[in-house]
Amino acid sequence: MDERLERYAELVVRVGTNVQPGQEVFLLSAVEHHELTRALARQAYRAGASYVHVRYNDGHTRRAMIELGPDEALTYSPEWLKTFTASMSGNAMIATTGDPEPELLADLDGERVGRAVPQEIVQIRVQQLTENNVNWCGVGAPNEGWARQVFGEPDVERLWEKVAFCMRLDEPDPVEAWREHLERLAERATQLNDLHPDALRYRGPGTDLTVGLLSAARWMAGGGDTSTGIYYVANMPTEEVFTSPDARRTEGTIRSSLPLALSGQVVRGLELTFEQGRAVRVEAETGADLVRSHFATIENADRLGEVALVTKESRVGQSATLFHDTLFDENATCHIAYGAGFPFLFDTDPGEGLNVANMHVDFMVGGVELEVDAVLADGTEVPLIRGEEWQLA
Amino acid sequence: MSDSGERLERYAELAVRVGANVQPGQEVFVHGFVEHAELIRALTRQSYRAGAAYVNVRYEDQHIRRAMIELGPDQALTYSPEWLNTWAEAMAGNAQLGTSGNPEPELLADLEGERVGRAMPLEAAEIARRMHGEHRVNWCGVGAPTEGWAREVLGEPDVEQLWELVAFCFRLDEPDPVEAWREHLDRLDARAAALTERRPDALRYRGPGTDFTVGLLPSAHWGSARFRTAGGIDYVANMPTEEIFITPDSRRAEGTLRSTLPLSLGGQMIRDLQLTFEDGRIVQAEAESGADLVRSHLATIENADRLGELALVTKESRVGQTGKLFYNTLFDENATCHIAYGFGLPYSFDGEPDEGMNVSNVHVDFMVGGPALEVDAVMADGTEVPLIRNEEWQLAA
Repeated sequence: MDERLERYAELVVRVGTNVQPGQEVFLLSAVEHHELTRALARQAYRAGASYVHVRYNDGHTRRAMIELGPDEALTYSPEWLKTFTASMSGNAMIATTGDPEPELLADLDGERVGRAVPQEIVQIRVQQLTENNVNWCGVGAPNEGWARQVFGEPDVERLWEKVAFCMRLDEPDPVEAWREHLERLAERATQLNDLHPDALRYRGPGTDLTVGLLSAARWMAGGGDTSTGIYYVANMPTEEVFTSPDARRTEGTIRSSLPLALSGQVVRGLELTFEQGRAVRVEAETGADLVRSHFATIENADRLGEVALVTKESRVGQSATLFHDTLFDENATCHIAYGAGFPFLFDTDPGEGLNVANMHVDFMVGGVELEVDAVLADGTEVPLIRGEEWQLA
Repeated sequence: MSDSGERLERYAELAVRVGANVQPGQEVFVHGFVEHAELIRALTRQSYRAGAAYVNVRYEDQHIRRAMIELGPDQALTYSPEWLNTWAEAMAGNAQLGTSGNPEPELLADLEGERVGRAMPLEAAEIARRMHGEHRVNWCGVGAPTEGWAREVLGEPDVEQLWELVAFCFRLDEPDPVEAWREHLDRLDARAAALTERRPDALRYRGPGTDFTVGLLPSAHWGSARFRTAGGIDYVANMPTEEIFITPDSRRAEGTLRSTLPLSLGGQMIRDLQLTFEDGRIVQAEAESGADLVRSHLATIENADRLGELALVTKESRVGQTGKLFYNTLFDENATCHIAYGFGLPYSFDGEPDEGMNVSNVHVDFMVGGPALEVDAVMADGTEVPLIRNEEWQLAA
């Protein structure tokens, strides 16, 4: 048995998802991720899971649907999949990422690719995130196709080493290393919550953007508790401190600094211009149609749902690797997401400032030249990030 | 597209058009092992080309099943998740395609046979059986060649050679496979009609280690695997299929049966199974390997210890002609005569099934045929009419 694989899976089950004895566990994976998925199932049972459900997704059957299926198939949510998703409430979930064929859908009609979202299932999931009733974790599953995307050759072993580094598996006691790391991140969230900025100001090459913040929204980092008090870490790796902005107060232009692998296409050089909270212009070197299709067909996809700050201590950043995978790349550097905001950041009703959408897409904006300032209520600007370093004491 | 890619698409097209006979506007439910991804993708493409409204795909993974049996709690074994029940219910009025060909036939061999035998989502299995019994699903099972399966059949992971064998059994070598299938099924149906017309009261099996009599039901008829749904859709439930079969009177089975081929079952291998019957029930189960798994079925699943199917296959069978043991019931049961313990098949009845039909949550086919097996029809007056000698059909039709 592959010992690294089992240790990795154990860390995800114990620290990430924090599976509780008697919980059911739901594994969502690409069919190419089956080695890791099997290890996760073993570790979940060892942690006391009462049952492990597995749902394998397949990019090729999805491609067949978009290419050959009728229009109604694109947004259809089968009853059994709705039941599957709804059953996750109160239980644990692990989703694996690492696209085995990132450009599988590249030659298809971007508008159809963008529309191919099972709306009712996404709604169930958004509701679960709102109620925060699932302890879940997203993790990477190295595979040949992903390795080829990262290195230009299918060197899975090299990708595994990078991923293991980002996961702190090289530490003598990875569980303890994660505890310390999560505490450091939580400290940053506390600093920002105490500073209470009214807005963020981003400046950099091609970027001059101001994003309003909501006074009731907390900054968060690392892990958090479900509504029933199970502590979990939703992303492994995680290096960010983040909040949901006021979706009505975004002005200016922002340019992405890393490519974004999305729905089988790659979005490069994305440039979004905002007026009164909404994206009014979308340009990109590649993949612009896919993003435009999101904005045109999914309600409120054209408003922001997340701002996240990452600095150069990040293990993902230190690995100096472009992973072509949001889970990793968003933890290398600062990022912003269009689409749904996070209701779990609020102790009370979020109100109208929090964006509600059936989609959440992160894109990376950070880099050495990006400057991020906190704009306080009195107009004072406090530097947060310079040269990818944290500026608060 | 490569030659093998083209063969895959033609194979999938035949399974979709002739096998399940997917109708425009139907949903299709495709399920199989993760190792069958290539074929499952082709079945999905061909289903959409045939006009499917939506193709649902569910990958199964034996390693996840192994983890459950080895590490999970007792209740997990028979747990039937709500979503799986919903999947089974949703097949009503729709089409289903299942792939078989175990990539690791002995993956569960070292586990406790009793737990392996009990591990079944009972509620979902029952719903699926009801959907089939009420003729509400046009479905088809087909083989999916993989390295592991090829190693089992050929002693080496020669997937290409296994593909050739499977394609031969599938009649893909015929200039017009659709027409070849029509003729083949017509021949099997003619054989079934001739036997039904004679109305035997029982079948008598004699061979090495076998001396066995099983009663038949007057309302049951012999048939091929070409069925029609309640909604009038014709389909072929197994591809390949070489059998004519009937559901016996589960109350009347006496004597001893010995299996002639190994049976790959739930990740274990059953070799040299020997079953003894009294008053329709199995009272003794012996085997060289896998006896515990069979005994677990018989002990824990109601009526698993009674018979549900008798099937006759002769040496014209394309599967038999390959001379290969496939370690896969879909193929091996079509190489030679077989019998199944567990639930009977409602397909044998025009209306309501006879009360003599067995009702159970399991259906396990095991092979009893071979050159030494003699099968006779026992008529109501006690006369015996030879049906099979030396693997040849003895009746006129």
